[in-house]
Amino acid sequence: MFISLQLLHMSVFSQSFSPCGRFLAAGNNYGEIAVFSLSAALSPDASQASQKPILNFTAHDGPVFSLLSTDTHLLSAGNGEISAWSWAELIKKVRVSCSVNFINLILIVGGGDNNIHIMDMETGIFKSVLKGHTDYIHCLCFKEREEEILSGGEDGAVRIWDSRTNRPVHCIEVFKYEECARPQFGKWISCLATDSDWMLCGGGPSLSLWHLRSMSPTSVFPLPGCQREAVFYQDLIMSVGEGPHVSHCLHGGTVKAQIPCTPSSLNTLALNLKNTEHRVMTVGGSSHQIDVFTNFSYKAFSLSF
Amino acid sequence: MSSDAVKKRKPKVIRNEEGTPETKRGRAEGEQDVLVYHEEVELEGRDPQQDYLLYKDTCAALAKLMAEIQELKSSGAKSVEMEERRRQCSVHFITLKKLNRLAHMRLKKGRDQTHEAKQRVDVLHLQLQNLLYEVMHLQKEINKCLEFKSQHEEIELVSEEEFFQEAPAEISRPHVTRDDHHQLTLARLDWELEQRKRLAEQYKMSLARKEKIHKAIEQKREYLSSLQPGLQNIMQASLPVQECLSMPFEQMQKQAEVARHLPPPLYVLLVQAAAYGQACDKTLSASISGDVDEAKALSRPPEDSQDDESDSDAEEEQQNTKRRRATVGVQLDDKRKEMLRRHPLSLCVDLKCKDGSVLHLFFYYLMNLNILTVKTKVSTTTDLSGAVSAGELLNSESLLNCLYASDHGQETPNPTNRYQFDKVGITTFADYVSDLGHPYVWVQKLGGLQFSSDGAQVSCDVALSASHMERTMKLLQGRLQARLALHKQFSSLEHSIIPVSGECQHLFPAKVVSGLTRWTMMSYQEFTELGFVQHVLKAGLLRETDLFFMAVVERGTARLLAAVVVNPRYPEVMPLFSLSLHWKGERSGRTEDNLRAMESEVNVFRAELQGPRPGFQLLTNQIQRLCVCLDVYLEMESQVCDGSEGPKEFPREKMCLRTARGPSRLKPFKYNHPQGFFSHR
Repeated sequence: MFISLQLLHMSVFSQSFSPCGRFLAAGNNYGEIAVFSLSAALSPDASQASQKPILNFTAHDGPVFSLLSTDTHLLSAGNGEISAWSWAELIKKVRVSCSVNFINLILIVGGGDNNIHIMDMETGIFKSVLKGHTDYIHCLCFKEREEEILSGGEDGAVRIWDSRTNRPVHCIEVFKYEECARPQFGKWISCLATDSDWMLCGGGPSLSLWHLRSMSPTSVFPLPGCQREAVFYQDLIMSVGEGPHVSHCLHGGTVKAQIPCTPSSLNTLALNLKNTEHRVMTVGGSSHQIDVFTNFSYKAFSLSF
Repeated sequence: MSSDAVKKRKPKVIRNEEGTPETKRGRAEGEQDVLVYHEEVELEGRDPQQDYLLYKDTCAALAKLMAEIQELKSSGAKSVEMEERRRQCSVHFITLKKLNRLAHMRLKKGRDQTHEAKQRVDVLHLQLQNLLYEVMHLQKEINKCLEFKSQHEEIELVSEEEFFQEAPAEISRPHVTRDDHHQLTLARLDWELEQRKRLAEQYKMSLARKEKIHKAIEQKREYLSSLQPGLQNIMQASLPVQECLSMPFEQMQKQAEVARHLPPPLYVLLVQAAAYGQACDKTLSASISGDVDEAKALSRPPEDSQDDESDSDAEEEQQNTKRRRATVGVQLDDKRKEMLRRHPLSLCVDLKCKDGSVLHLFFYYLMNLNILTVKTKVSTTTDLSGAVSAGELLNSESLLNCLYASDHGQETPNPTNRYQFDKVGITTFADYVSDLGHPYVWVQKLGGLQFSSDGAQVSCDVALSASHMERTMKLLQGRLQARLALHKQFSSLEHSIIPVSGECQHLFPAKVVSGLTRWTMMSYQEFTELGFVQHVLKAGLLRETDLFFMAVVERGTARLLAAVVVNPRYPEVMPLFSLSLHWKGERSGRTEDNLRAMESEVNVFRAELQGPRPGFQLLTNQIQRLCVCLDVYLEMESQVCDGSEGPKEFPREKMCLRTARGPSRLKPFKYNHPQGFFSHR
């Protein structure tokens, strides 16, 4: 009975797909990480059991807010610590102790101390710090072409940094723009996404699409709640946040569709683009269930912790 | 005329016949001149054939003469010739008459001869018959003699060899008997007689001995029964001594006496409960109540009672057919009552708790269904009135619900009862539960009854009872104490005071502004109709047997409704809270992440909220924590709201590091002692 009680009060905060694209790792508020087998869940003879995790272990004391996959490892971030887990061992259902063995990788960490830290994965030493935000940082994203880092935080500002020189390039204070601002919610930015010249940001202010060259919002999406994660996908923008639905929006600013989901509000959205066989979208939020969309227009089934 | 002549002649003939041969001889010699005409003698001389010829001639002559007469008459002739012829006719007539007589005489003679011969034959025949009869008679006698069985053959005699061996020489006389079978048999009979006489003597002696021994036994019996009153007196006198030494032998004996009439499951229960009470728990006491005589009547040979049942059934049916109305229903009712009959003896077990309240358990045995049921009663030292919402807590119907998980006591655990119920049309045992008591599974186990699901043999297993006794008793005591504690807590909750004990004060900050304004009980129906509890229903976390309450916590304009589900196994199972906030609109745990976090804070952290063992503070701590969380929620509400710049309704008084964390921007609900600040989990 206690387990069903726990399930009742569980929230999923983060997700990440494995490098091969056949597995999904999800982190919840109890500090547990569960690994699901997508190939089993998507196969024609899938059963109730295949929607349960193949491995479930406690990674941190506090909630697992962020999960990130490299080519070989899964990185999880809890309340003040980052752990790395080997995907190979996770797939073999072996609970693995933290191991760090990277080559030539750089990790950019945005922390609660209002700064961005850049760490060399191989040696594990923090190389540099980007200071500028006045409040803690919620989200980060990376523009590969220009090698720029974008960060959004509680102070409502989106800062753009050059990763080579580690200097700030731009600062956009979204809440100052009238068309985006929503003072009743606040000024914090909780989601950021970029696609070449375009940037999506949202949170307290409405979700808005910005053109980076001109540094101005081109469209504002009339979504009622605060958005917590948004991604570009082909010519659509998909975002999740407060409210039990995934919003599909067009670049022009219209909301094309709102697909209903199981959790009452969603925290994380992930697209499995690495594997063409298992091209799915998964969303998780205030529930122990993670919805899986095979066709992005409707929910196919749910994985359950 | 001829007959007259014969008649006349008869005497003559007779005389003459007798006399004739003599007279003829004599007369023939003596008397020559008297010629007596003996026609009989003449008869012997004549030839019948010649007579016949003579007759024919005479008739012819007569006919001829008649014809001549006729001629003469017609021709008118003279009478002389007619006279001549007439005379000749008369002569012929006389001849004819004589011939007639002769014929008659011949006939008579012939008859007489025949008659004589016949008579002779008859005499011989008779002699033959007599002889035959005598032969037959003699043969019968011979047969009878041959068939005669003497009684002596019915006596079983010893075999010949034995006889010759055993019998003394005077009797056996072998020199004679070996040859003569008759003598042998006689000798054997003699021997038999002698033996029997001897044995009869012995028998008489044995009888006499037996009588003597009988008398001796009687005397001894009388002596013993005379001792009985003396012993009784001693026992009576020892009663005060027993009480003094608190060793109630008398009581125990009496109880043992009555206990013999208990049905096996109740007996096992009594023995185990008494044993447990003596060994582990001095506060437990067991006693028997009920009608012993009825029990004795029941325990008489089972055929009797079965006959009684079938008789009564037959009687009932007879009665029913006599009455014209359709009494099938009544008959069915009677059958049902018979099936649900309780054994007249019942067991009463009292469990005392530390604070003096007592849980009385009454155990009954349903004979035909072979299950035990239990009824409860609680007696407390303090008066328990005053808490309206606590009405259900000590309700004897539901007090022992779910002592072990999912043991509801509504259905009979014995699978064979299903078939018995079908026969008398009982659909469910739950209808009779309030009358007969609850058939919990643990009660069956305490009585040693175990029902396996495939309906195999039910055995009265003492080991089963013993293994469950301790745990069950502890659970029962725990249940009673938990309910009493809840009862007390409820009465203060209804007065809007949350009774937090000293040991739990460290869980909460010193100042809690939100207060409980209402605490009421709800029914299952009302509960399931609430909108914000549907997630609990869907998760299958509540049952109809649970207790449902509604708590209202208020601060300022904000009103928090909490629907509480309390499992009967409290405090083993945590009560479950579902929240709905009425403040600037209506939000619930489903729509708002922060309320969900509050629910989680109150529902999940048992180890913190339990308080000191045995954990009766759980509910009140949960309610207090709820108030603290509401405080945090209201105070941490985002600074800017509605665009208004006026003073906030709830100024921030709580210390915390961050007001929002994570993508869902949860508030810091966790209280840290003794620093006194709030943080996120």
